Amino acid sequence: MFKLIFLKELKEIIQSSRFTISFAVCSVLIILAFFMGAQNYLASQSQYEAAIQENRNQIAANTEWMMVQHSIMLPPQPLMALVNGISNDVGRNISMSNRGELRADNTRFNDEPIFAIFRFMDLEFIFGIVLSLFAIIFAYDAINGEKVSGTLKLCFANSIPRASFIAGKLAGSFVGLSIALLIPILIGAAILPILGVQLSSDEWLRLALIVFSGLAYFGLFLALAIGISAMTNRPSNAFLIGLVVWIFAVLIVPRASVLISGRLDEVPNVDDITAQKNRFRAQLFQEDRPKMSNFKPDEGTEPQEVMTQFSSFMRELSSTRQEKIDAFTERVNEEYINRKNRQEEVALALSRISPTSVFTLASTELAGTSLGLQNRFMESAKDYQNIYGNFITEKTGSEGHSGFRMVMVTTDDEGEEPETLDPNEMPKFEFAKTSLKTAASNSFLDLGLLVLFNLLFFGGAFAAFLRYDLR
Amino acid sequence: MENETIKQAPLLEARNLTKVYEDGVKALDNLQLKVHPGEIFAMLGGNGAGKTTAINIFLDFIQPTTGNAFINGIDANEDPLEAKRNVAFVSENVQLYPNFTAMQNLDFFVRLGGKNSYSRNDYENALVRVGLQRDAFDKKLKDFSKGMRQKCGIAIAILKDAPAILLDEPTSGLDPKAGKEFTRLIGDLRDEGKAILMSTHDIFRAKEISDHVGILNNGILVARKTHAELAGVNLEELYVEYMAGYMEENIEEGILSNDLI
Repeated sequence: MFKLIFLKELKEIIQSSRFTISFAVCSVLIILAFFMGAQNYLASQSQYEAAIQENRNQIAANTEWMMVQHSIMLPPQPLMALVNGISNDVGRNISMSNRGELRADNTRFNDEPIFAIFRFMDLEFIFGIVLSLFAIIFAYDAINGEKVSGTLKLCFANSIPRASFIAGKLAGSFVGLSIALLIPILIGAAILPILGVQLSSDEWLRLALIVFSGLAYFGLFLALAIGISAMTNRPSNAFLIGLVVWIFAVLIVPRASVLISGRLDEVPNVDDITAQKNRFRAQLFQEDRPKMSNFKPDEGTEPQEVMTQFSSFMRELSSTRQEKIDAFTERVNEEYINRKNRQEEVALALSRISPTSVFTLASTELAGTSLGLQNRFMESAKDYQNIYGNFITEKTGSEGHSGFRMVMVTTDDEGEEPETLDPNEMPKFEFAKTSLKTAASNSFLDLGLLVLFNLLFFGGAFAAFLRYDLR
Repeated sequence: MENETIKQAPLLEARNLTKVYEDGVKALDNLQLKVHPGEIFAMLGGNGAGKTTAINIFLDFIQPTTGNAFINGIDANEDPLEAKRNVAFVSENVQLYPNFTAMQNLDFFVRLGGKNSYSRNDYENALVRVGLQRDAFDKKLKDFSKGMRQKCGIAIAILKDAPAILLDEPTSGLDPKAGKEFTRLIGDLRDEGKAILMSTHDIFRAKEISDHVGILNNGILVARKTHAELAGVNLEELYVEYMAGYMEENIEEGILSNDLI
């Protein structure tokens, strides 16, 4: 009986004009998302390569490593283009110094601020917003529509268990509509290599997991809509309720959770923190000023030696000051990060009431564009900073402390220009991506929640239908 | 025909069937009726008289407050799945799946009724029998008139081949020609030995084909006449009288209970 209902549902969905329209819209949107994602990735890739080249040119134009303004860049990833997450909000460039705080600048939105308002149409947007709404539109009258039309009564004039009917209906709707999603997704995935985007096997697996979480997310909205349909007698009421639930789940809860967590545990903003650090730095400098004024070289010291002593004195002063600044910065940063993490944890816990948040967290984690992206980039940059610091120290003999340094450049007797630098000597920056295993493990909770939501809503629809008035 | 079948066990039986809805409305009050193989029992009554409530109890869409409904001896509310194997149902306004063709609808509902061995030829024969034009067989139901949908509904009931049939105002809204064809089909099914319980507003058609006519008023079966008893009786007048409550007083006094009920 289940099979019969399942096949009927499948056939009915595929033959309906609603399916035709939805299939067409889904196909266009999904293929467009893949196409735009690929274009964005290729554009980002060429921007990245251009920036790398410019950095190399800048190195090559110098004759002294000390004069080099070295930058590192966040390399674009194909999955970042398909599931943007925070990748467009994170600064892509970091001006490297061998000590001190690093700061990522130049977000994607700096180049294209219009997307900060309208955002990109990526897979996460299509599943999260469009397809969840489609699920409601598709299934709001799944049960009560049959009741109104009279087919439900005619079906149950036969000896069908209600459980078989609702299970067949749920499964048939899910499979039928999943076809509408999977076909364009497969087409989209197939055009990626044609467009020049090569995914590694790791990335293909991640994409498959993202699609799986998308289907699970779509399925839970479908079950929710069928459940609402099985709790109401009129399709119009079911649609209204479904729409209200959708608005809360998709649009309100994720935003409200951030606002609520902000109220529960207030964290000073970055400007306050920076101002605090600057004040401390200025204070230390003021404290050092008398020491600098009181510097006196030994009597009768040669001017060359005076310069060396002064340089050494300044370096020592600067080093001590920097140590204090570093300690202070570390403490302030740690406090800030701890409070921020606490706030984020509260926000994430609250937001997980909404399946949309759960799906967003799962898909961005798998795509490597979750909140952790910024931390990973900064951690990679800090790791690189040590390598870079050692390299610069080795090349210049300076540890790069702030302060004054005089460089004298001489030419030899024949007037030849000094040799320019070889950019290949500069250590390469490696961005540490999360492994598939780590990403899967990090998204395990959210993937599990998606499955749980499915079971909950399927169970709810099931229970509601068992008590449904069939007349 | 009546004398031949009367001795057989009833295929449809309401025993002291009472239904009081949650809002306190008594839709059925101690309904007693039996429909034997080869009989048509027509329930007449106004809107809200309890006709559809009785059918809904037989189909287990609602539970009786007291009493029992039996289909082929099986309590329809105790073992509905087994009971419903023995009954086919045609509603007032047969609505099948609009995006399916007549054939697809027939195939689905007949399989749902537990018949999996029919061929396309069997479906065609059933549709021909109910008078559907061949060119409509593979058309989608959304293009069908009410009469055509009713024909599909009766074709489904024929193919289910259940011993009992429940008809809920099946001729309502049909044009005279379609109504006549429908009546002929019902008569044929009765002649094949089916027990048919039909709710209807159509007094004349009820008189024409029914073996028993019962009049329901406010959930009470206020009158019951056999086909023979109705000969020469103006059923319309009788119906109006009963519906006007003329007989209710007599029932309460017990005058009519022996000869009419």
